[in-house]
Parts: sequence; structure tokens; C-alpha cells
Amino acid sequence: MKDWLTRAGMVCLGLIVLVALASVVNLAGDPDEIVGPRLAPPGPGYWLGTDNLGRSMLPRIMEGIATTLLLSSVAVLVTAALSAVLGIVAGYRGGVVNELIMRLVEVLYSFPAIVLAILVAAVFGPGQLAALASIVLVTIPLMTRLVRAAAVGVAQRDYVTAAIISGARLPRILGRHLLPNVAGTIAVQVTYALSVGIAVEGGLSFLGFGVQPPQASLGVLIQQGTTYMTAAPWMITGPGVVFVVAVLAINVVGDGLRDRFEPRQARSLV
Amino acid sequence: MRLALWWLGRAVSAAATLLGVSILIFAAVRMMPGGFAETILGPFATADQKAELADRYGLDQSVFVQYGHWLAAVARGDFGVSMISREPVVSELWARLPVTGQLTLFSVLIATLVGVPLGVLTAVRARRAAVGRLLSGLGVSVPEFVLGSLVVFLFSRYALGLPAGGYDNVRSLVLPSLVLSFFAISITARTTRDAVMGVLVEPYVTAAVARGESPWFIIRHHVLRNAAIPVVTLLATITAYLLGGALIVEYVFNLPGIGSYVVQAVGRRDYAVVQAGVLLAATVFIVLNLLVDLVVGLIDPRLGVTSKGRRA
Amino acid sequence: MTALLEVRDLAVEYDSGERRVRALDGADLTVAAGETIGIVGESGSGKSTLGSAVGRLLPSTANRVTGDVWLAGERVFDLPPAGIRRLRRERLGFVFQDPIASLDPTMRVGKQLKLVLGSKGDPLSHLDRVRLANPGRVARMYPHQLSGGMAQRVALAIAMACQPRLLIADEPTAALDAQVREEVLEVVFSVAAEAGTSIVWLSHDLTAVARRCSRVAVMYGGRVVEDGPAADVLGQPAHPYTAALARSAPAMASLGDRLSPVPGRPPVLAEASHGCAFEPRCPYAEERCAKERPELHVVRTQEALCHRATELVTAS
Repeated sequence: MKDWLTRAGMVCLGLIVLVALASVVNLAGDPDEIVGPRLAPPGPGYWLGTDNLGRSMLPRIMEGIATTLLLSSVAVLVTAALSAVLGIVAGYRGGVVNELIMRLVEVLYSFPAIVLAILVAAVFGPGQLAALASIVLVTIPLMTRLVRAAAVGVAQRDYVTAAIISGARLPRILGRHLLPNVAGTIAVQVTYALSVGIAVEGGLSFLGFGVQPPQASLGVLIQQGTTYMTAAPWMITGPGVVFVVAVLAINVVGDGLRDRFEPRQARSLV
Repeated sequence: MRLALWWLGRAVSAAATLLGVSILIFAAVRMMPGGFAETILGPFATADQKAELADRYGLDQSVFVQYGHWLAAVARGDFGVSMISREPVVSELWARLPVTGQLTLFSVLIATLVGVPLGVLTAVRARRAAVGRLLSGLGVSVPEFVLGSLVVFLFSRYALGLPAGGYDNVRSLVLPSLVLSFFAISITARTTRDAVMGVLVEPYVTAAVARGESPWFIIRHHVLRNAAIPVVTLLATITAYLLGGALIVEYVFNLPGIGSYVVQAVGRRDYAVVQAGVLLAATVFIVLNLLVDLVVGLIDPRLGVTSKGRRA
Repeated sequence: MTALLEVRDLAVEYDSGERRVRALDGADLTVAAGETIGIVGESGSGKSTLGSAVGRLLPSTANRVTGDVWLAGERVFDLPPAGIRRLRRERLGFVFQDPIASLDPTMRVGKQLKLVLGSKGDPLSHLDRVRLANPGRVARMYPHQLSGGMAQRVALAIAMACQPRLLIADEPTAALDAQVREEVLEVVFSVAAEAGTSIVWLSHDLTAVARRCSRVAVMYGGRVVEDGPAADVLGQPAHPYTAALARSAPAMASLGDRLSPVPGRPPVLAEASHGCAFEPRCPYAEERCAKERPELHVVRTQEALCHRATELVTAS
């Protein structure tokens, strides 16, 4: 039952990545080239219509996917690396180190995602860097918390004690014994963080503080689409659908991964 | 006594977090383009004003002293003056509070009143799990700015009878609240469902079934109370999320709330407003979490006890 | 005399999608009113499934393949939902393994009892009945504040609140300390005796069960392989498995005896067994044991599912 859903999510995700790769070589044309009249409905030469400047929507959407995906992926990888280090160290060392790291996480966690993103944008100025930093700061708290929780469990196991007694060095204990055992948690959280990342990029770019035109991102395209929603509904339809499908697919895959790494059988009598 | 001690601990922790938040925002303000003086006074301040400010905030002294002055001012409710309106930031925010407050409150109410029953229902009738997952996934995946734009478009184009933009009275908040609660409903339903399903496999539920209690009796007396613990905890997170979402929804629906004001402020580089808005959101979240801890403490008698295993 | 509980040829399978496990493979059991019977078996022998089946408490992944259960004259699996609830409420009591977890953690003990008793009963008298010292104090406590022994007494008080005809106890003392275990055992049996309630006691400890129960049924591979008076089953086992089990029990050995564990592993059946499930581990196995399902043989006071039961007993 749920397996087909996870598989469908993976297929969608694979397609989205392929589309992003295809846009790098301008497979469907140059996203900045003006190919037809302004706000033209879908037709030959511009299968998904044109935007307010007469650019074809198809290559723009493809570029948007690539931008958003790349930005979110890089940010989430940064988050994963930082969270892995912070979470494992906090979980393993405990004490003051743990207290400090967790307090920092708590502080970041106290801001609603988009509010934190806005603060970041105010400091860095609108742009890709702001979007990137926002995604990292928004996704770090939850992932660090969960990695830490997993690491605390692992740190108390006997084989870790055995490694300590046998005189293994700290980097070796953390790298060889703790990291592999929290990798599942990180994998699950990376998928969720990716969907959060896409949402943050979308929200921030929609408000005008993220990716800046003429570069396309899903957020930028949706923002432009809302402006011309009445005259050219195709301008928002494509990016909107892609955005929802991407986030949905990632969440579904995340659920599938979670069921796999953190199985829990529900056998209720009620 | 046990509860009071536990809650006191939580309060101290919340205070520490709030302090951390203030440090972070202070650091951000100092890093903002134009620096501290412009953030507070705006770019057109005279040299006299700047000197007065430098004196007041101790700008010629160490960072720690500056932070102290800043914190003292913030604690008095002095966030500086809006560069655009030349009014104190506090009064600007205060004037916009009702719209944001009502919007958030309505959305929390809708999310709870719809999401919790939905979650209980889907947990008890766990068939069609994939469809449920897909639907709740959809709720989480449609962002406010897409849904909001769509609603604004439909209601303004086809005149469907509800105002979709601007603020006249409470009716203007109906659509924004619905849009804002869309995400919250699915996340509430999802959490409730997970919580209920978690409780349904507990031995004490099996024991109640074995005693011949009816499903609804068990849900009413055993499940709801126990499942409420994670759901109530979620409520604070939801509210925080909604505060963030309100920002976008206010922007989309052109509502004169704090959120849209802060968004404008970032665009106009009116940083005094930005710092105040951000601090407000974080403070509300921390205070709400503290309140939730209190409620959870009342529901769950195990809190604050060093229990032997079995959940903390 | 009609039996209080009758289980006939009950087969139950768990289907987890990928794997199918046949937990019960044609189990038979009869319990008369007022009788105390211990059901003994290793984990995986099907005793817990049997206990749950009596109250139709099987999880949704389990399905009954064949057989029936009669309790107080009613066919348990044919009752409508309201009927089975009434049966559980009026005739059955259950006590489970983890006493603290089987109480609602957010509710005081007194309130949980009151919920079961309705307006008519007095929680304190029920706590007193299971010999809890200071029932007033216990009633005001939350489950996590109770010790394991206290919690199991509370669970017993709740299970016995409606004077059931049959109490099913699923290893209720397994999680308790040895000394507390004896006390709880004592309380369960005396409270049941006062109320005239029959006991089905599920356990893996043959000797402990034999001391308390009037009858013992030994389960293996999802069937009851031997059934008879406790002293006889323990003293002169009719089934090779029971004999092996008795030899492996420390309490049964005299000083200087060598304990011999039962060799091999208990089976996990995927389908109905073709022969005797104990055949691979049985020192007396012969060709037909692997091919024919053993029939019931009456040996002395016991009934045994073994092709060679009569033969082996006369030989010894």
C-alpha cells in the first residue's frame, strides 16, 4: 500500500532532478531568450506559454527547478554536516558542551522559519546567499536535536564503552561508532529538510528577498505568476504545480524512509 | 510542588533562551547595513541625533555595554523609531497587533477544531492509509503563497462574496484565516493521528479492551487524555508557524498586520521595525511554549519525576 | 456438567504481509468452573495467542483459520461486537505481564477503579481485597508511583472488580522480583478462590505453575501436547516434551543432579504441521512422527498428543 506511494515519490523526485540537469545544458532553450509575444498562451515554440517579457515558460520553469533544487540541496548538505557534528558532539560529550549547543539550537528554534529568513535577508541583503543561510539556520535546530537524541542512545551502548576502554581516539569513536549509527536519522531528516528548504526559498523569493530576477527560481516564478494571474494563468500554474509536486514527493519519500529506519508496528485492538 | 519545581525549571530555561534570542538579534542589528545608529534612527539622522544616540546606547564603549543599553531599552519597550513614519516602533506594532492576533487566533482555532477530530478519526479507522498520507501530505506541501494567491485570484475575479484583500472588518479575515490554517490543519491531524495510534497500541488500552469497554469509551477516557500530550506540545509550534505564515498571508491578502508591515520594512530598510517584529515573534513563541509546558504538566503526572524508563 | 471454557481445534495465523506464522495449530482445551489450570510453554508455543483468543483479543493481523472457542456457553467468535464486550465485561478478567504499563499513566488508581466499577462500587474495598496496605493512599497514587507488585495487585483488583467467571493471567509475575512474585501469586489465587473464579495461568515455568494449579496443560508448536492433574504431569510426564521440560527445571532436580536443557529450538510454524512438531528434538522420534499428526492418547490420568505415549509410559 504505502510502498507504491514511496516509489511514486521517488520517481517524481528522479524526474525533477533530471529536469534540473537538462536545464543546465538549456535542453528546452535559453530561459532568458525572448521567443514570442508577451503573456502568450501555450503554443508552438513556447509549449507552456510566455511570461510578461515574452520569454518561454518551459525553460524558465526548468531553470527555476534547477536553482531551487541546487540552493536547497547545498543548504541542506551544510545543515547535515553541521548538525551531524553538533548533534554527535553534544550527545556524546554531554555536560556544558551539550548545554551550550542545545541552547543555541533552542534559540534558533524560537524563530518562525520565515521570520528567521527575513532577519537573515535584512542582514545579508536580498539574494541567493540570504536564501542559503536562511535554509541552513531554519533546518539546523530540528536535525541537530534528533541527531543528538540518536547519539545519546548510541553513546551508552556497550560497544562504544568497549571502544573507549580499548583506547580508541575521540575522532575514531565519533566517526566509526557514532556516525554510522545516527546516519539513518540524518538521512530521514535530510529529506524533510529539503522540503523545508524548498518552502523557505519559495517564501523568501516570493517576498522578493531571495533569488533575484532575472534568474528564475520556483519562488521567483510563482511571485511573477501571481502578478499576472488574471491575464496569464499559465505563468503561475506550471511553477505552482511543480513546487507542490516536488515538496509532496520529498515528504512522501521522507515518510517512506522513516518507516524503514524507524519502524513501528501498530497493532491496535480498538 | 513537583509540578511547581518542574515548571520553575522550564521558566528559567525559557528565560535563558530569550536572552540568547536577544543576543542573536542584537548581533544581527549590528551586522545590518548601516550599522546600529542607522538601524535605530534611519539614514537621515542628524549628527546631533547620532551623538545623542551614541551617548544613550554607549556606542563608544564595549560591545557588552552596548548590549546592556540596548537590552534595557528593549525591556522598557523602546525599540527605536520607525524611519518611514517617524513614530515609535512600539506604537506602530501595537496598532497592527489586532489584525495579526485575530488572524493567528482564528487559524489556531480552525486548525484545532478541524485537525484534532480528523486525526482521531483517521487513527481509529486506519484503513486507506495511503490516501490519508497523500491528503495530509498535500496539505503540508501547498505553500501559503500559492494557495493564498489562488484564493485571492478566484474570489476577486469571480466575486464569490467574501473580501479577498484589504481589511474592513472581521469578515476580511475569513479567507486569510482559512488559507493560513490549511497547513496547520494537516499537521495537527497528522500529529493527532500519530499520537492516537501510539496510544492505541499501549498495554493499558489493550487492558481496557479486555475489560469489555467500548471503543468510544476507551477513546474518551484513556486515549484522548494521553494523546493530548504531544498534540498540546504541537500547538505552540503550530502557533509559531502560523505567526510566520501570517506574515506571508498578510502580504498576499494585503492586510495591515504586523507581518506585512515587517515585510515592507525589510524592503524599505526600516530595520528598527524588523528587529522589533522578529523579537516579538520569538518572544511569543517562547512564552507560548512555557504555557504549553504548564498545561502538559497538568495532564501528565509523570513529568518532573525521574521515571524508571518508559518515556520521559 | 458443561465446561466453562472450551477451545476446540483452534488454529490462528499471523499474517504480516511478508511472513505468515501459525501461532496456534489446532489447540484443544477445556476448563471447568472453579478450576485452576496452568498453561506452560516456551515463548512462541502459542500460549499467549490462546489466552488472547479466549477474549477475542487477537490483533488485526491475526486470523482464525479453524476451530472455535466457547465461553460460558457462548461461541466467542460468533458474537456481535456488543456481545463480545458484554462477555469480556461480565465473564472474563485479564491480567497482563507488564503491570504498570497496563494502567493508564495519566489517571489516579482510584479513578481507574471507579471507571470500571461505575457508581455502585467502592474502590477502597476492592483495593483492600487484593491486600494492598493503606488502600486510601494507593487510590490517590498514579501508576508510575507504584511498585511492580502494587501495580499488579491494582490490575488484579480491576480485573476482578466485576466478579468474572474466568481470569486469564498472562505471565503476570514474570516482571516481578522473586519474593513479590510469591505474594502476588498468593493474592491472585486466594482472591479467585473467594470469588469462585476459574484461573487460566499462562507461564513458562512448569514447576511454579504446578505448585499452584490443579491442572497443567503443556503447549508446544501451537498445540496442547499434554494435559492432566498438575502433580501427575510434573511427576510422571506422558509426553517426551514435558519430560524434557521437567528435566530442565532447576526446582525439580535433586542435589547433585545434572540439569539437561531441551536440545534444539522451538519451531516457528508457517503452516499446519504435518507430523508432530516436537519430532526434530524428540529422542524417541520414529518415522511416523514426522508424517502423521499425533492423536490424543489417554495415559493414566493425562491426555497426550504423542504417537508413542502409551508405549513409552509402559516401558518406563
